[in-house]
Parts: sequence; C-alpha cells; structure tokens
Amino acid sequence: MSKTKEQEPIELHGDIWKHIQPGEVILDARGITKRYPGGVLANDHIDFKIRAGEIHAILGENGAGKTTLMSILFGLLQPDEGEIYVRGLKVRFRSPEDAIKMGIGMVHQHRKLVPAHTVLENILLGHPRSRGVINVKEAEEEVVAIAERYGFKVDPRARVWQLTEGEKQVVEIVKALYRGAKILILDEPTSALTPVETERLLESIETMTNEALGVVPFITHKLPMVLTISDHVTILRRGKVVDHIETAKATEQILAQKMVGRPVIFDLQKPPSQPGEPVIQVENLSAKNNKGVIALKNVSFTVREGEILGIAGVAGNGQHELAETIFGMRPAETGKIIFNGQDITQLSILDRWKLGMGYTPAERTEVGSIGDFSLVENVAMNYYFDKRYNHSGFLDYGRLRGLTEQIIEEYDVATPGPDVKIQTLSGGNLQKIIMGRVLSRQPKLVIANLPAQGLDVGATEFVQRKLLEARSNRAAVILISEDLDEILSLSDWIAPMYEGHIVDIIPAAEAKKDIIGAMIAGLHQEN
Amino acid sequence: MLAFLIRSLEAAMIFTFAGLGELVDQRSGILNVGLEGIMLFGATLGFIAAKTTGNYLIGFLVGIGIGALLGLMHGFFSITLGVDQVVSGMGIWIFGFGMTTYIGNPYTGPLGLERLPTVFGISPFFFLAIIMVVIVWFVLTKTGWGLNIRSVGEQPSVAEVSGLKVARIRYLCVIFGGMMAGFAGAVYGLYYNPVWNYNFLMGWGFISLALVFFSMWNPYLLFGGAVLFGLLWQLSLNPQMFFPGLASRYVWRMVPFVMTILVLILISSKWFRSRWGAATPEALGKPYHKK
Repeated sequence: MSKTKEQEPIELHGDIWKHIQPGEVILDARGITKRYPGGVLANDHIDFKIRAGEIHAILGENGAGKTTLMSILFGLLQPDEGEIYVRGLKVRFRSPEDAIKMGIGMVHQHRKLVPAHTVLENILLGHPRSRGVINVKEAEEEVVAIAERYGFKVDPRARVWQLTEGEKQVVEIVKALYRGAKILILDEPTSALTPVETERLLESIETMTNEALGVVPFITHKLPMVLTISDHVTILRRGKVVDHIETAKATEQILAQKMVGRPVIFDLQKPPSQPGEPVIQVENLSAKNNKGVIALKNVSFTVREGEILGIAGVAGNGQHELAETIFGMRPAETGKIIFNGQDITQLSILDRWKLGMGYTPAERTEVGSIGDFSLVENVAMNYYFDKRYNHSGFLDYGRLRGLTEQIIEEYDVATPGPDVKIQTLSGGNLQKIIMGRVLSRQPKLVIANLPAQGLDVGATEFVQRKLLEARSNRAAVILISEDLDEILSLSDWIAPMYEGHIVDIIPAAEAKKDIIGAMIAGLHQEN
Repeated sequence: MLAFLIRSLEAAMIFTFAGLGELVDQRSGILNVGLEGIMLFGATLGFIAAKTTGNYLIGFLVGIGIGALLGLMHGFFSITLGVDQVVSGMGIWIFGFGMTTYIGNPYTGPLGLERLPTVFGISPFFFLAIIMVVIVWFVLTKTGWGLNIRSVGEQPSVAEVSGLKVARIRYLCVIFGGMMAGFAGAVYGLYYNPVWNYNFLMGWGFISLALVFFSMWNPYLLFGGAVLFGLLWQLSLNPQMFFPGLASRYVWRMVPFVMTILVLILISSKWFRSRWGAATPEALGKPYHKK
C-alpha cells in the first residue's frame, strides 16, 4: 500500500454518491492481492469494475478466492496489494464500518442477524439513527417505506427467529439499503430460497438496478441463476480472474468449463431404476424440533432397494428432524419406523448402524466429524463396533489405517495422509471422508442430509455419483436436499416437504420443477 | 418489624447495585463470576480509605475505582486474551478473597465514623438503586447503546459486520459492571456492615450473581429478586421473629444460599431452558475472535 494521503471515508460519504449516471464505473478494484500465512495466494491481482445499474456476478468454486475478495470489498479483510476506487476516489477499508460508510452493503450467505431481536432492531443495528434514544415509530415508517420501494414486505416488529430464510434475507437487504448502500454485494443470494422467493428477489434486484445501484452476486454453483440475472460475469479460479464475460454471450457449459478448468459433465449417468424389496417403511412419524415444537408431522413413505427418495424442501420444514428421527438421534413422538421388516422405532443409534443404516449429517463439522481427531479416528467412529476392527475392546488401528487409506484412494481425498487432523481438510474432502466411511460399510439404507451443500462443482459431481453408485449396489437412499436440480437429477421418487408434512410423493419421471417448487413453498395442495 | 423491613430493603439495594452491573456485563456477553471478589475489594479498600481519611466520599470513590480496575482486568483476560471467563472470574474471586484478608487485617474492627444519614429511616442509596434500575432498563431497551450492547451479547459477528466495535462495547460493559460491584461493596462496608472482618461479605457477591440469572436479564425482575433475597437474608438472621423455635439458626443461615443453589439448578434445567432459554444472551461466556 502506498503512503499517499487517503481520505477519511467518514466525511466524504455525503457527497460521493450524488448524480450517478447509469453505466458509470462506480467501483473499480485493481490488482487486489491477498496472501494468507503459509503463502497461500487467495487473491492474485484481481481486477474488475462494477458499473451503476449493472448486475455483475462473480463466479467461482469454493477456494477460488470469492470469499476473500468479498471480505476485502466489505472491509473484513485488508488486501496486501491493490487498490479500490469508489467513484474514482481511492478508498481503504479498515473495517466493515468504513465500507458501509462508502455505500457498500453486504448480504451474507449465513445470515448476519440477531435471532432474538426484532426486525427493526436488526435493521437499526449500527445505523446512525440508533444513536441515543431510538424513535421506534419514525424508524419503522422509514424502514417500511424503503422496503416497499423495492417491492419487499417486512414486519418491523417480528422477531427474526420467527422468519423464514427468505424473509431473513429480505431483512438483510433492507438493512443494507436503509444504510444507504449503492453497491449491494449478495453472497449466494438464492441458495436458501424457494423458486417463488427467488423470482421475487430478482424483481426487486431489477428495481434496484433501475435506480442505478450496482448489484454484485457471488455465486458458487447455480449457473442458470448467473445466466438469468447478471449483465456481466467475472470468473475466478485459484485466486485469479479467468475471464470477464458479457452474460449474453455465455452458456452454462462455457461458464462451468472456465470455472472448473475442465469440461464438466452435467448429465449424471443414471441407470434405470430396479426397485426390490422395501428397505424402510415410515408410518405416521412425528417428531419435535430443538425448540420442543412438533416439526415433523405424520409422515409416511416407503423406500425400496435400489431407489432414491428425494426429500425436497426449504430449510426448516422438517427434513432435518425426519433424518434425525429415522436415524435415532431424535425420539419419535408418534409413528413407526420399520427397517427390513423389523420395528426399530425404539432402537439405539448403535443398533441402527449395526443393522445396516448409514447417515451422512448435514453438519459435517459438528456432527459428522471431530475436528481435532485424525482421519483414521474419524473413520473409526463408524467402525469401532465392528468385529473386524474391534478385538474384544481393542481397536485394530492397523486395519483402520488401511481402511482409511483405501477411502482416501477411492474417494480421491486431497490430504497429506491419514494421520492429519480432519479439520485441516476442505469442505469437499471432509464430505468425501464422511461419505466414504459410511458407504464402505455397504449400508442397506443411506440417509444423505444435504450431501452436496456448499461443495464446489467437482466435489458435488463426485458425491452425487457415489450416491448413484450406492443405489446401483441395491441400497435404499433417502436424499435430503434444498437444491431442486439435484433432487430432480438423482431421485426415483420425490417427496416435497412443507411445514413438517410430505405434500405428495411423485415419481421422478412425472415430476416438474415448477410444481415441486410451488409445493415446497406451500402454494400447492395435495390433490 | 420496621427495622427488619428496612434492613431487608437495604440488603436488596446492595444486591441490586452489584446485580445491575453484572446484568449489563452479561448482556454484552461477558460473564463475570468474580463479582464476590470485586465486592470484597470495594468493601475493604473503601473501608480502609474512609477510615484513614475520615471521608466517606473518598471511600466510595476508591470502591468504584478498584471495581473499575478489576473489571478492566477481567475484560483484558476475557476479551483481549479470550480465556475462559469462568476461570478468569474465579481467579478474581480468589484474588479478592486472599488480598483483602491480607490488606484489611490491620483494620479489623469498626469504621469509627459517624453513621451516614438516612431518609425516612432508610439509606438514600435505596432510592438510587431504584433509579439505577429504571435507567439501566431504559438504556438497554430504548436506546441505540442498549441495542448495541444486546447485539454484542447475542451475536458479536453480526454486530461486527453492522459496523460496531465489539471489543470496545464489551470493555465498557465489564468496566461498568466492575464499578457497580465495587460500589456495592463499598456501600456494604461503609454503610450496611461497617465493621471490617475478613470475608465479611459472606457470599453476597454470589447471591447477586445468581440473581442475574434469576432475573432473566431483566432489571425489574432483578430488583424483585433482590428484595426477595433481602427478606430471606434477614429472615435467616432472625428466624425467631416469624418462626420461633423452628429449626436451628444454623439451618436458617443456610437458607439464602440453598435458595441460590436451587435457583441455579432451576434455571439450568431443561424444563426452564425450553421455556425461557431465549432470554439468555446467546454469546454469554463465549470469547469473540475476529475472523
């Protein structure tokens, strides 16, 4: 960083955004470079420009440097090299406060809201209006007015924990706009939304661009999304800008290839289904969520050998409780679970493992692994009870190590070796180990809870192929996913969930994306 | 009877001062279980200062000052160094217990100053306590500072990206908490029980700490709880007033502490948490590190 005199962002903010012309460059990042300790180049001389009234998508896999870049633009990290200009003025962000004052707003993928507070309190937090005594009525009116201007609905008095993911996102966007954001950074804006909510968000974004705001969505894998919303795309790979493209000239194939660095096969080879005997029958199952409220309501279904049942739905509609109840982590309030003809409703988790169930949890770092343990020890967690690896109470570490090496090999896990702590692995590699230790037991039932969430294109493809492989090996698979495309491409049966109910169970061949989208949004009733 | 009531309310005001500070502290996410240690320091150093200078004001100021310092120390450990807050708090308690026993020993005995004046027979500090309750409630619920404090105690990372300075807010809160505890101690040593003896505070800091949990972090409930415990405390000293001949006085002396333990068991029960758990500041006791 040069020592030239830099402005204090605080004082200039008032004037800097006057008279913006659509198409004018409002943010210019030049040569942004960030090196992490250990020499990892997260961002390597990244250049890009954002124009007023433009939607400029930044596309890249996990580890491509997106998060780092985003954090730099929002002042959470400071670049080692490079300059940022806002409307031609050189700026330096030491904290999010500075970035906010220069008109940059950010909507995080993992909601940055206080659940216990009201919507209004969340929006006011950090806003100059909240100095001293808060005039609640005036603030409420202002917030509602700004929300309406962009076609959003907010209830300022609702508590954030009561809101759906989509509503929470609206709160975050309104918060940024209320603070005067002119450049809105959206991190994976549609990953938690239903198709209907996505549609509505896109309309609001259009209103924003008409008012000459710059909108910058950062996106990992939803390529169709990029194509529909953006005007320009900047593609990152391994910390470098691979290309800037006008979206009109791009296709899904081109984007994927540039992002991954090799051609990507979108078509998963899915052999025709050959269902066998029923493996699991769930009858009238109900369960409570962590707050003690019934969140899974009278759910019934059957999955047979060699079938994948896709549970579609937006987070918080009972899918999580369903997975945990079937696996025994959560008591069933009503109903029965029958596994290979045996009623297992009251059995322990260990018994269920032994009977041939396998579970890959959505919370890979909290439930799926112990960060401080080695890969071998983490693999042992699904094998410690297995006679082949446990000789009258003594673990056979030699064999476990061999098994772990085999999983690393077969699943193409990038790791220095089986003895490193598992927390050093990236998300995709961690998931591969978890899938590997579950599938290597050749379970009769696999419950995969959000198996590809947050993984990049390459790892997603791999995990999905492994699930299809399990299906070919005659396992029954329950796939829980918030990604409708994933559900549609993998499942034999699709069960959309809404508010704890399974709305309907549809054969995949007859399933249509828009109808399932409506079902998970509660707009379509069972006929 | 009136004397009994007045003594109860005066005990309540001391619990209230200490509890209010701890309440603000915890609302910002910092748990200070060393309240007893800070109060002991405030009581002892305030007592010594007043005794040697003959000036009450100096005594109170010294109490507040040492409280602020110890609060700052707890802040340094728990905010800057990010150590386990229970460990740091326990350290402050043991430090307070040991140091005040050592420092105060030569001053064992009565203060030897004229008693502080009273209004309608009760200490004016009682009214100050009520005013403080209202102020703290108002600031926490109606102002931007309160919003900032509560947010930092719930989700510090959210506060950070909203442009707040988490560490600064938490420091201010622990220092405030320390000052209030030091002051509560000084009121105890200079007014309520102006006869120094080692550990003459007898666990009042722990009672105040329990009251904060009992209050569900609501200043009004804290005050109600403080009055309840004030009455219990007096009852434990004079059980014969109401229940002559019932149980030994040693049993009665345990009552406030048994109640404290019961309250703590109750609020940590699953039943209680599933109903009232939302009131707990989410980030309470968790150090915050910038990513």
